[in-house]
Amino acid sequence: MPESAATPGLEEVPLEQLAACPECDLLMLKPALNLGEVAECPRCGCELFRLRHRIVGPGMALVLAALLLYFPANFLPIMQLNLLGRVTQDTVWSGVLSLYNSGMQGIAVVVFLCSMAVPLLKLLCQLAVLSCIAFDRAKPLGVALYRTYHHLREWGMLEVYLLGILVSIIKLRDMAELSLGIGLACFAGLLVVQVWLELVMSPHQVWEALSERRDARR
Amino acid sequence: MRAADAGLMVCHECHQLNRADAGQRHQRCTRCGARVHMRRPNSIVRTWALLITAALLYLPANLLPIMTVRMLGSGTPDTIMSGVVTLAKHGMFPIAAVVFIASILVPTFKLVGIAMLLFSVQRHHPMSPRQRILVFRFIEWIGRWSMLDIFVIAILVAIVNFGSLASVEAGFGAIAFASVVVLTMLAAITFDPRLIWDNTESGNKHD
Repeated sequence: MPESAATPGLEEVPLEQLAACPECDLLMLKPALNLGEVAECPRCGCELFRLRHRIVGPGMALVLAALLLYFPANFLPIMQLNLLGRVTQDTVWSGVLSLYNSGMQGIAVVVFLCSMAVPLLKLLCQLAVLSCIAFDRAKPLGVALYRTYHHLREWGMLEVYLLGILVSIIKLRDMAELSLGIGLACFAGLLVVQVWLELVMSPHQVWEALSERRDARR
Repeated sequence: MRAADAGLMVCHECHQLNRADAGQRHQRCTRCGARVHMRRPNSIVRTWALLITAALLYLPANLLPIMTVRMLGSGTPDTIMSGVVTLAKHGMFPIAAVVFIASILVPTFKLVGIAMLLFSVQRHHPMSPRQRILVFRFIEWIGRWSMLDIFVIAILVAIVNFGSLASVEAGFGAIAFASVVVLTMLAAITFDPRLIWDNTESGNKHD
């Protein structure tokens, strides 16, 4: 594939057979991929395409699993702190509320968006996009939602929040008696499912499936 | 050969190729309907604007306390750096290192790194495009991790809530710090990485 990059006269090749790297704008012939193969840009090494066996089935299963985990992860206690017989709990949601009530509305909004709203919206977009492909309906809506998903991607920060939980556990360890809650397990599960989902949904294939006509679905 | 030289534009969102239509000012992608451009419009000016704003907020973010821990009524305000020092004093070196990297090194590296990319695109610099794209990808990837301290504050404020016995309050440095993280992330998104390769091949200036 890299050799084809230097082929002269690429202007004459039909558009469907060409691809360009979104990061360095190199024009090349679209590589033919086998299942499981990945194509990288020969100039800058950006990942261009990845061909997966199936998207819809595993994708659906993972999105539903993530949505089931979402609510316990955000609303069940992550940890309890016991200081001289008084017990307090922390959930993702109570963190947002406490910031809001202590006059830090701005940060409360940032935390709410990055740890709760965006991850949920991402999952809902993925669910809708997969449904559009599976049922071959409302493709334009699917396109709009998949675009939304790509704009949201950067702003979901579940993994950073998990590291925040770990740092907090260590900071609190000396202060009082600490016990971990079921919310933490759900949160970690949600994170794993979400990363897996990201691996399953190959963007290039989703875009193709969204732009394909009826009966060409996979 | 660049797609731009063949009169083709890659969609920013779905990576579909579109033929440039000279008659149209605002062209949309034939597949997903997003605006397509040869290069992001005013990428350099916008990135500079976001970067300078972030740099201005970087000072209060580091100088003002991000939280105050009150024990039995007496409070100690903590800045980002003093939080790291406290962790290290208690012998928690690995966590102190993680917080130091996420809250001090990463934001500083991002401010310097994006400025360096902008400079190197505007005037030809000795850094090779390959090195520059690695810097860019690293900045894009690592940006979100600086939010770590903000999440720690959210968790501590919620759980250390024992009235007059002990409590944690967020400080104004946290607002400035969260703004720095958001602004530098926006700056990385606004920067068009294709500019890195443009001025090395054609010798044209794109600013």
